Amino acid sequence: MHHHNHYYGQTHILARWCGLDDEHPPRIRGYLQHGWNVGCGWNPVHEFFDGAWRYTWSDAPRRRGHSLGRRNYHVVGAPFLYLAELEPTLGAVPEDERRGTLWFLFHGWEGGGRGGKIEGDHARLISEIKETETEPVTISLYYTEFERREVRRAYEKAGFDVICFGKRGWNYEGTDRRFLYKQLETFRRFRRVAANRLSTAVFFGVAAGCEPAVYGDPMSLEGDDPLFGGQARIARLWPEMLGKEIDLAAARATTDVELGRRHLMPPEEMRMLFDWNHRD
Amino acid sequence: MTETKLPPVVRGEIQPWTDADPAGGPVLAAFLADLLPASVGRVLLAGPHDTGVLDVLAGRSADVTVLRRSVSDAEDLRASGHTVVAGALDGLAGQRPGPYDVVVAADGLDRLLGTDSPALDWPERAGLLRGLAAPGALVVIGVENGFSITALLDRRPVKERHGDDEWRPLRDDPRRPSSPAQIEDVLGTAGRRYALFGSAGRVHTLVESDALARTAPGLPGAGIALAGLAAVAGGTPLLAPVTGAAEAAARAGMLDAVAPGWLVVLGDGGPVHTAYTPSGVADLTADGWRFGDRLVPDTESAETELFRLAAAEDVPGFRACAARLRDGAFFDRVHDGVALPGPEIPLAAAWIRFRDRLVGGHRRHPWPPWMADGDDLVTMWLAMSGVEATPEMLARGREIAGTESRPDLLSVLADAEAARVTAKEQAGHIFGLERTMRFRDQQLRTREQQLRTMRDEMRRLRGGRAVRAAQLAGRVARLRDPKRLAGALKRRARAFLRR
Repeated sequence: MHHHNHYYGQTHILARWCGLDDEHPPRIRGYLQHGWNVGCGWNPVHEFFDGAWRYTWSDAPRRRGHSLGRRNYHVVGAPFLYLAELEPTLGAVPEDERRGTLWFLFHGWEGGGRGGKIEGDHARLISEIKETETEPVTISLYYTEFERREVRRAYEKAGFDVICFGKRGWNYEGTDRRFLYKQLETFRRFRRVAANRLSTAVFFGVAAGCEPAVYGDPMSLEGDDPLFGGQARIARLWPEMLGKEIDLAAARATTDVELGRRHLMPPEEMRMLFDWNHRD
Repeated sequence: MTETKLPPVVRGEIQPWTDADPAGGPVLAAFLADLLPASVGRVLLAGPHDTGVLDVLAGRSADVTVLRRSVSDAEDLRASGHTVVAGALDGLAGQRPGPYDVVVAADGLDRLLGTDSPALDWPERAGLLRGLAAPGALVVIGVENGFSITALLDRRPVKERHGDDEWRPLRDDPRRPSSPAQIEDVLGTAGRRYALFGSAGRVHTLVESDALARTAPGLPGAGIALAGLAAVAGGTPLLAPVTGAAEAAARAGMLDAVAPGWLVVLGDGGPVHTAYTPSGVADLTADGWRFGDRLVPDTESAETELFRLAAAEDVPGFRACAARLRDGAFFDRVHDGVALPGPEIPLAAAWIRFRDRLVGGHRRHPWPPWMADGDDLVTMWLAMSGVEATPEMLARGREIAGTESRPDLLSVLADAEAARVTAKEQAGHIFGLERTMRFRDQQLRTREQQLRTMRDEMRRLRGGRAVRAAQLAGRVARLRDPKRLAGALKRRARAFLRR
């Protein structure tokens, strides 16, 4: 229904969960949340057609959306959790062999002519990462930063491995449907996940068994909408997820809430929910 | 002064958001002004309240903290000079702001949490709020009654009643108090309770619960409550008028139990009146209800008696009762206490209000419908009271009486049924008229026949021998009279010469 539903191959994962073709997944009658979100599940100016259903990862976006006058929500849980269920061994190594920190730089976006570039002091962030991390660090850049040579080079010159998981896709083009598979596989060999903002990757990392850390210059995003309270609000609502050393049990509990673990549903239910059953 | 410096925003704030219809109005302000001591220490005003309430609190304390969950609402209040905190109740409690001597949450406990707050049920919210109060503090909490008459008669589907601030279904809370007994279970028996009637946040009427529980239909206490219910009904689309249910509740001694809400007062406060209404305060004394200077016996109103006589179709009894109303002792004593010039106009207003309630309430009465549509009923009743109605008097009376609640489904159904009956009766009326016309046609045909018969008879008579003989006799008689003959010849000669 909307090309965002295909971001990171999320619809593909849910189609596979439902036993359907995950190369050419059926369309979802509505909008599927594509990233962890402090608002109603989508950006404040996202389009919604009348009567659309909104499928969120967790209950909080549903509540916030309700306060905005929106209805027709159904919480389904994050596709990443379904993927972890589908691929229980992908990239898994024994716990004591997990090593290093997979470090996610807060990323920009494709922008569509409305900004989308991040701005910040990369050198200072690199120093802080070096001061903090005790094991090898791999920096994950989204392609928008990976393709900015000055950004990528800064982290490479600092001696970090720099990787990119690919493109989430745009208008159904260039969607790497293995995007989250690669992330899951990678997370499972790292001991820590870190980022300069509390973000989707941190929650995914915790869900994949990593210890989290959130620190450093959160940087600014061109055209970022502070309507929902910005970083101060994140600090008020999820203080247990911020810092260099985080209580793992608390982080896992929060991650389960934010990714909607208790909302995961069996394939039969999801097929009905998405109207994916054949009606012949 | 504040022991803990509070941040401007605590956990759980929401934006974009504003809480519409904050609790307030002059009635609530007057109640709080009586309740609060002249000078108090630290005060917390939790939830959306209007500036009238804030002004009362600010007049008694130099240390007022206002908690609003909406960032923009809090911003709007910052100019007041008080400590204004944006955030949820759980966020404020997390700051451990120290005990307050007075805590006012007259708006209730439903607009204190944000979308990101934990799903605290009603007793947990009450506990959190009371936890901010010092021991023995004065705490005022508004409680919505899910079993109120207006809630039971609300014609909207449940899912459409509460709108955007029910991101969690607050009314599904099994521990939410919905009766006086349940309030006591949660808040204890030490508090005082007032039945609260209000619409869109504005408190219209407050009546001490015990006084309301003891009243009966037609008594002033029930009248005060009915006026409050009418105000609530004005803001709620209803299935049926509240009056019938309210009278049944009053008869059962349950009027307090079915009020739209309550205001619960914990801790000691100043003396307050039995009732607070838009037209002033009222006290129930041993002699009756005192509305300012007026003392109204705690007895059944004339209105109730008139309804009963109308339902019994006892017009002589009704006329006798109406005749007793001429000296200014009007029958709706709650409404009729308003000072107006002369006895006629208030009486006209009272009769118009009575007509609205009698006819609008679909009560039984002996008068035909064409009297009820215009001013005939009121004019007749005024005459029964010894007053000759004038158009000006009726127009002014209509202004004073105002209009009562908006149409409800029962009224719409009753009106539809009345329209069906009217259509049937009109058809009967047309049938009757056609019958009359048929009789008239028959009559006309009969007369026409009679005329034709008479004309034929005349024609036959003219052609008969007797008539011809009489005509000949007439001519002969003219010839035998010389003067008449000479005159006739002269007229004919002139006519001949003129030709």
